[in-house]
Amino acid sequence: MSNLVIHAASYLGPEGFGNDQTGLRAWPAVLAGNLSRGELEGLHWSLLSDSDPSRFLRMDLMCRLGFMAAELLAVNFDALSDTRRDRLGVCVESFTGSLDTDIRFAQTPRPSIFAYTLPSTVIGELCIRYRLKGPVLSLISPDAAGASVLTEAAEWLRASDAEMVLCLGIEAINRSTVNALSFPEKLSARGWHGAALLVGLAEKSPREKQFTGGALVDACRKLCSAPERAC
Amino acid sequence: MGIALETAVNEPAIAIAGGGAVCATGLGLASLQRAVAANTSALQRRELVVGKTSQSIVAGFVPDETVAQLRAADAAHSDSRAFLFAAAALREAAENTSDILDSIPPQRRGFVLSTTKANIEALDNLVRRQPVSAIAQRQIQPSFLATDLAEAFDCRGPVQCVSAACISGLSALLQGTALIRRGLADVVLVAGVDLISQFVLSGFNSLKSLDPEGCRPFDQSRIGLSLGEGAAAIVLVKRELLSSPAILISGGGTSNDANHLTGPSRDGSGLALAIQRALTKADFTPEQIDYVNAHGTGTPYNDAMESLALRSVFGDHVPSFSSNKGIFGHTLGTAGILETALCMTAMQNNLLPGTPRLRERDPVAPASLLATPQPAVHVKRILKMNCGFGGTNAAVILEQEQP
Amino acid sequence: MESLIEELKTKIIGGFHLEGVTPADINADEPIFGTGLELDSIDALELVAILESDYGIVITERSVADKAFASLRALADFVAANRT
Repeated sequence: MSNLVIHAASYLGPEGFGNDQTGLRAWPAVLAGNLSRGELEGLHWSLLSDSDPSRFLRMDLMCRLGFMAAELLAVNFDALSDTRRDRLGVCVESFTGSLDTDIRFAQTPRPSIFAYTLPSTVIGELCIRYRLKGPVLSLISPDAAGASVLTEAAEWLRASDAEMVLCLGIEAINRSTVNALSFPEKLSARGWHGAALLVGLAEKSPREKQFTGGALVDACRKLCSAPERAC
Repeated sequence: MGIALETAVNEPAIAIAGGGAVCATGLGLASLQRAVAANTSALQRRELVVGKTSQSIVAGFVPDETVAQLRAADAAHSDSRAFLFAAAALREAAENTSDILDSIPPQRRGFVLSTTKANIEALDNLVRRQPVSAIAQRQIQPSFLATDLAEAFDCRGPVQCVSAACISGLSALLQGTALIRRGLADVVLVAGVDLISQFVLSGFNSLKSLDPEGCRPFDQSRIGLSLGEGAAAIVLVKRELLSSPAILISGGGTSNDANHLTGPSRDGSGLALAIQRALTKADFTPEQIDYVNAHGTGTPYNDAMESLALRSVFGDHVPSFSSNKGIFGHTLGTAGILETALCMTAMQNNLLPGTPRLRERDPVAPASLLATPQPAVHVKRILKMNCGFGGTNAAVILEQEQP
Repeated sequence: MESLIEELKTKIIGGFHLEGVTPADINADEPIFGTGLELDSIDALELVAILESDYGIVITERSVADKAFASLRALADFVAANRT
């Protein structure tokens, strides 16, 4: 019997951003207030990386959060062999999905936005960026807990459908977009976040940690807030 | 409480107990099967305002009389066509499988919804400041649509909602099989639904993906797809609960092209990978497949890519294959479920579907493309695939047990 | 015509999120697609959408688009001739 291990964890949300090694860092003061209120216009690639932002500006909020969460993992995907990347799965879970982008598209229909009116497009963007060809899954969760996507990843690993899995939990809600229309519940009250876990089978690497259960986002917050402790 | 990766012993076989559908052919699998047998198209032309311009759109609209009928029977959901369609398909599926369903307690009934945009029409209306009922607005969000439908059909086991572009349906079916295999449910209702809306029409229109005259999958002169709407439902159970020879879901696989966001990988390798994963899971070789039901949207790129993928997997021996989107259009999140239900009826009737609206096969497409329906002695194994935005691919293998 | 060219440059920079690119960086006589600005097929469709929403011009033929997009100057001529 083998156990699921976490190779890397990352998180970005109102509280800050970081991974399981750096811990959570606060956003720059000039942005922190807006981000804590869910106004996400100032969220930019350059806040966490000097590298080429690639397609970042063309992407919608959900993909940007996914992109940033994956980048924050500080995993060198390029260094993986073709075989490992062919068998690297990607799954995403979200409660709000692409709703923010859907509202923007409904207001101003544009071809460049249309491809992003799907919660699964973030999978496509990450697979293109890191050249991943593994199994894929995109779930809309009944609540924002993000519990079930890890169960699916574990299933892929158990069945040898994948060697590693990039699991994402994203809530891409820009307060100003959503509050323009009244939804049954205050979606912006749920907050926004991007969280990523790279999970796999035990390889005895110094960074890996046993996974002991819980929802994806909670695991990411915990691992990034207290980088020394195992989850 | 960890997630242990034990190797499972004696994983149960999963069977399709029955299904239901509502689409351009109207209400019910029988009306769909009639269109298949007659090789006819149910696409209709309507003059619609798309964005700011009036356009002639050919698409797989659910007939007005069917919509009126469903609204009359369920006034509370009259402005949530997503709920009305899904519930109609689920009702038919539940009626066809009532013996099984009644024997399984609600806590052991799972539910998986497949949809790309749920009740998106309500969002169109909200943005235009038109009246929208609370239910219709709530069901814009796929998660609420899923839980509302699960509740309506008394499924108190696990509920999942898959939203993965055009592979949602096949992905949802595979999730359904996973829920049963893991012992979380004994029966899973898997439903797919999507609507033709301003939202989706304007999107595909802006990408210039539509054929104004209607799609012609695998045709030499094809220029684009036709949208479709509707719902389909499939009831999955543990094989051991059925007493007669069954149709099984023997395996499935997904992949990503890692190439381009809205166009498939040119060489079909991503789709070929998904197919190979499905074959491996099912423990079948390509030679054992009797028929392939393609994604076949009718866009120049998709059908060319699929042709390459088929040749890559099957070499010179591509089995008989066809695309049925000429009947009901590209139904997005419904496609995987609707087209699998169609494969189910093909097996039950021993009739391989043709490719309605085909005039002349594109030479790039393998010669085994079926223009018209073909009777078969016993359709044993079918490969079903779909591909979606974001370079996603999915394949599922169905197997009919010997009578 | 020059002001229309500048207007179009601004729309292209904004519409395609060309960070760090100023109107002075874009040569009005070079092809819009296929060089320097690294625009792709979706961007071409986006430009078609912008022409429709901002200038009331509906393009349905690929050949018309190809000619109009040959350069910014060609685009400006096309817009001036066809705007509603």
